[in-house]
Amino acid sequence: MAQWQEVQQLPPTHLERVHQLYTNAALPMTVRQSLADWIEDQDWQQAAEPFSSHARMLFHSLLTLLGEQLGSLGPGDEDFMLKHNLRKARIDLQAAFEEHPENFANLVANLLQEERCILRRAQAKGQVEAPPAPSTAPQSSQEREIQQRLAEFRTALQEAERAFRHMEDLQDTFDFSYKMYYLPGQDHSHDPQYAQHVQALQAKLQSLDRQRREVVAQIQQLLGRSETLRDFLQQELSAWRERQQRSCLGAPTDTCLLQLQGWFTALGEGLFQLLQLLRAVGELRQKVTYEQDPLQSELPLLEKRLQEQLTCLLQSAFVVEQQPCMPNTPKRPLVLRTANKFCTRARLLVRLHDRNHRMEANIHIDRDPPKTRGFRKFNILTSSSKTVLVGDSPREGLVCDFQYLTLKEQKGGGSGKGSRGSNEGPLAVTEELHLITFTLAYAYCGLELKLETSTLPFVIISNNNQLSSAWASVLWFNMLSPNPKDQQFFSTPPPAPWPRLAEVLSWQFQSIAERGLSREHLQMLAEKLFGSKPSPESALPWTKFSKDGAAGFSFWAWLDGILALLHDHLKQLWKDGLILGFVSRKQEKKLLKVKRSGTFLIRFSESMLGGVTCTWVEHPESGPPAFRAVVPYTAAELASLALPDIIRDYQLLAEENIPENPLLFLYPDTARDEAFGPYYSQRHEGILTKKKEYLNQRLIRVSSRQPHETWQTEEDLVVATEDLETLRLKSGGQQPESPGTVPGGGRTPGTPQAVSPGLQQAVVEGVVLQQAVAAGLGTQQPGPQVAVLPSPQQLGSGSIGVLQTGMGNLGPPVVLQLLQVGPGGQGVLPTGGGAIGPLLGSGAAELLLGNGAVGLLPSGLGDLEGLPLQEPELEAGAVQLEAAELLPTLDDSAVLLDPSDPFLPQPEDVALPATPSLFTADGDFPPLHIDASDFQ
Amino acid sequence: MSQRGRHQESKTKLEISPSETMKAEEENYKEEDKEPKSEDWRPPSVFGAADLKNRAVGLYNIGQTCCLNSLLQVFFMNIHFTKILRRISVPVCGTQKKNNVPYQMLLLLEEMQRGKQKAVSPRELAICLLAHRVTMFVQYDAAQLFLTLWNLLKKQMKNPELVEKLSDLYTIGVQEHLACQICSSETKRNSSMLTLPVPLLDSGFYMLKTLEECLQCFFHPEELTGHNMCFCEHCGKKTPFRQCVKLVHLPQTLTIHLKRFCFGRSAYIHKISSCLPFPQDLDFNEVLTEQQCQAYDSEKAAWQYELFAVVAHSGSTSCGHYCAYIRSLTECKWYCFNDSLVEQVSWDDVKSTYGHSDLSWGQTAYLLFYMKKHPQ
Repeated sequence: MAQWQEVQQLPPTHLERVHQLYTNAALPMTVRQSLADWIEDQDWQQAAEPFSSHARMLFHSLLTLLGEQLGSLGPGDEDFMLKHNLRKARIDLQAAFEEHPENFANLVANLLQEERCILRRAQAKGQVEAPPAPSTAPQSSQEREIQQRLAEFRTALQEAERAFRHMEDLQDTFDFSYKMYYLPGQDHSHDPQYAQHVQALQAKLQSLDRQRREVVAQIQQLLGRSETLRDFLQQELSAWRERQQRSCLGAPTDTCLLQLQGWFTALGEGLFQLLQLLRAVGELRQKVTYEQDPLQSELPLLEKRLQEQLTCLLQSAFVVEQQPCMPNTPKRPLVLRTANKFCTRARLLVRLHDRNHRMEANIHIDRDPPKTRGFRKFNILTSSSKTVLVGDSPREGLVCDFQYLTLKEQKGGGSGKGSRGSNEGPLAVTEELHLITFTLAYAYCGLELKLETSTLPFVIISNNNQLSSAWASVLWFNMLSPNPKDQQFFSTPPPAPWPRLAEVLSWQFQSIAERGLSREHLQMLAEKLFGSKPSPESALPWTKFSKDGAAGFSFWAWLDGILALLHDHLKQLWKDGLILGFVSRKQEKKLLKVKRSGTFLIRFSESMLGGVTCTWVEHPESGPPAFRAVVPYTAAELASLALPDIIRDYQLLAEENIPENPLLFLYPDTARDEAFGPYYSQRHEGILTKKKEYLNQRLIRVSSRQPHETWQTEEDLVVATEDLETLRLKSGGQQPESPGTVPGGGRTPGTPQAVSPGLQQAVVEGVVLQQAVAAGLGTQQPGPQVAVLPSPQQLGSGSIGVLQTGMGNLGPPVVLQLLQVGPGGQGVLPTGGGAIGPLLGSGAAELLLGNGAVGLLPSGLGDLEGLPLQEPELEAGAVQLEAAELLPTLDDSAVLLDPSDPFLPQPEDVALPATPSLFTADGDFPPLHIDASDFQ
Repeated sequence: MSQRGRHQESKTKLEISPSETMKAEEENYKEEDKEPKSEDWRPPSVFGAADLKNRAVGLYNIGQTCCLNSLLQVFFMNIHFTKILRRISVPVCGTQKKNNVPYQMLLLLEEMQRGKQKAVSPRELAICLLAHRVTMFVQYDAAQLFLTLWNLLKKQMKNPELVEKLSDLYTIGVQEHLACQICSSETKRNSSMLTLPVPLLDSGFYMLKTLEECLQCFFHPEELTGHNMCFCEHCGKKTPFRQCVKLVHLPQTLTIHLKRFCFGRSAYIHKISSCLPFPQDLDFNEVLTEQQCQAYDSEKAAWQYELFAVVAHSGSTSCGHYCAYIRSLTECKWYCFNDSLVEQVSWDDVKSTYGHSDLSWGQTAYLLFYMKKHPQ
């Protein structure tokens, strides 16, 4: 917009300044108004220079234009005043400045400058005062500064161009006169006119020289300002890089490049324009040069400086917009699997290109691989070069998008498969960092450059089960590496300061389940990691994060298990804040103690990978409050029954009482159905009119306890087992079967199979699990508690029972029942507390064996210690099969869970032998190996 | 108030602009006539060039004079200097006038302040300097030219009081200690310097990170051993010495010279363009330790400085350009003086002279001028 137009649109306070400016000015506002565009187009500054012939010319042009303006106004009365004012102004101006037109030029130049000054002030003020427009995000002061500097840069560039054109004019006149009048060969001693010409020529050369110096100074100045501007852009770009790195780690940040692209392009455009200006100046020097020509000495310097700036700008403008990422794991970029496709994209933020020049981008993997022994080498299988796509819309920009890349490992000469064995490097596969480098041959306006940029280091895996630990490496690197290209980072990985780590961990939850970790969560994790309240200096070593773990798995593996569980089954509950999640036992009791009976909370298991459990409080009539928890549910259980449904239908069986759901209020005090109502799965209410072939099925979870058992007090819980879970199969809606009525079905117990050792599950395949224990078992005295596998009423052939074997033991048995397993449904048999072996007396073993349950029982059963038989009589209603020690048969878990291992962790979620006598009786069985205070 | 005030001022200026030049010229003649009569003549204004009339004035580059121009602007913008300059006695005859550097500088200053022009030409001063065998129109080292200029000023100011004032304004007092490591005999020598030439590389040729580190390095004791051993009179032989410089006095205007040169192999000098941040506020008591100073507490209390000007160099050692960033002492705004162009800038622009390791042709600060915050 033209300056005068802008001035007229100023708010009243600023407009007042303009009026003041013109009140006493020798240039009336009428003239300014009538010839606004022309006045703004002239270089008054230039004309104001002493001895400038330009001033006189401009002055006379102005008078002529005023005359024309007057003539163009009609003879009518409507413009009477205007005509009068213009005429008066013309006469006044002529009178005042005829002698010294340069004073007039100076006056106009100053006026224009003042106007600009007022405009700038008004804008600056307007930006402060104006409420942020709703459509655009509020700009930071830095952004405003950049915008303003870009605008100033453009204005200054225009001024330089104007000065250049003036210089061109001067040179042309000089050149012409020189060729016309300068005839050195002849004798002109008696030609006074010639001397005059030469003198005039000398004056012309003087002014040309001055103008050249002026142009040079302007370009110097422009280069100086653009350096500052480039610094600003560089800062913004590094802020973006940081944001991108954080966003890779799951932080919710904006990584849009459009604004940066706009800025880089604007500055690039300006600098290229300046480059062309410089070249044009160089051409003028070719035509006319003289001794002490400023262009002679200054031009090369200017050119070098400008080219260097352009190179720097372009070099930094080439960025990796999208870090390498496999489409199937979008939340975990920078982990690539061989033979899986992945994509990555680079962008040149200076959106300037030559349409006739085909720009090609290339990628290389590990161009300078670290000289580490055993460092794997990879090939990019797909084409590694691509023509840069040029979109017309700014959104598209100059982009090279590699979408279907795959990697293949190079096999070392002759060593073939398994070469890693002998060639093993010091780093694990998931700690080996690789880089992809983009190169781009850029050419524009005669400037040819090879641009280069690199991705962040990534980890290459060959199996999905390495994904989790690979991601841990990516987290660690991007959290801590000071150098974004350091491929040797894991040779000495630094420890992570807790505040930083806490933030990154929270992002993991944020990105996977849309809710980060609260302060309380982090507090609990910190206590788990550091054993105390974290100080700002607390730092976690890499090995402690990703490798060592007391429970047989690392902290990260545990956390990642929870993340997987959240992602697959509990996303909505977590997002809505229904899962308290990370609560230590001590904290849990503190929270629940003061709540009414039946208040429960949901938290993650600390002892197993990916487990979630409910703890509730009961206040007995006398004595301290009691806390109960069920054996954690893992993905396996949640796959068949969602957590809200488990909570809805959960039944606690107490003998001779109607089963009841102990989970009444979600902590702090929301009624269960109110809290979980929206998450219950739809019950299929049968249509009554329709004749039903089958009854509806419904799966619920049940625990049972014996009526006379004592609830454990808080104190007891420290060492005592909490829950015993056994498993029952029962037809829908039926009362628990009484002993003896269990029909003997096909007595072919299934063979337990390891599904996942970590999850301690066993699948019983293809077997109808029926009563595994003889009916007479119930009469056994003193007998071990035995998990009963009562036969389902409806048994399709080949149906599989689901067993959940909690460890039978002396604690209050909480029997979990599965009501009516669907025919043909696959059952999973999770064994609750795998660690508890020594339960069976030899008699019991015999008994079990005698009852055909042998398949269920481990061969190692004989090793089991005898159980101190002080167990109360089995209740009449509870015929239970001792599901003792399934685990030793599970080869994979045997090592992990060998009960005789004194260092075996005793996960606190797992049912433990309750009586102190057990500990004293069994020397191999250490008390909780973790400091008891951890749990309190 | 300031906006309004300045606005009024500019309005007046515009109003009177057509005729003022002539008036001013007349005044000029009168001045010249008047000046010899009274030595104590003082102009009403004691401001630096850019402080007068809300507009800074540039200096034309008349052939590789960017270095001179930058230094002149730094002199002229320093009100403490112009106070002294305005009190000089005017030489009697014409040739003396032509050859008197302080007088020519004063004339130039007057021209800059009087003028309606955006820039003036330092032609007469250049000619005057030529007469004193200062080669003009060649690439100059700003630190060297500063020294030359200052010495000429000092030499040609006849009034001893002014000479003393000029010295007070710029000279740094240090004490050099040289101690024999064998007999512990120590020699001390007081000396004064015009600039603190601080190194950018430490003794192990590592880049120093900040200006403060450079200063610390400058005042760090040096062990003279091996080839550098000195002859000790007491021991009667060459012995290892410990050499150190202690700071005694700091002037009102402190000049720091960043030695951005590095002798590479084969005596080829190249410029160090890497980043060296310098602060806007500098407290020498925080930079130097007790042992590195040799001054009274009252002296040390005044060692609080504020950045006043930066002379920046762009280009290489053989071919380059100077410009000056100067903070107006009255307005407290930064200006960039690029020969004939003067522009108001911000601290961010000054920061761009910290240097970049990836820009070998970019501008880098070369001379830093700090001003005492509380003049004594």
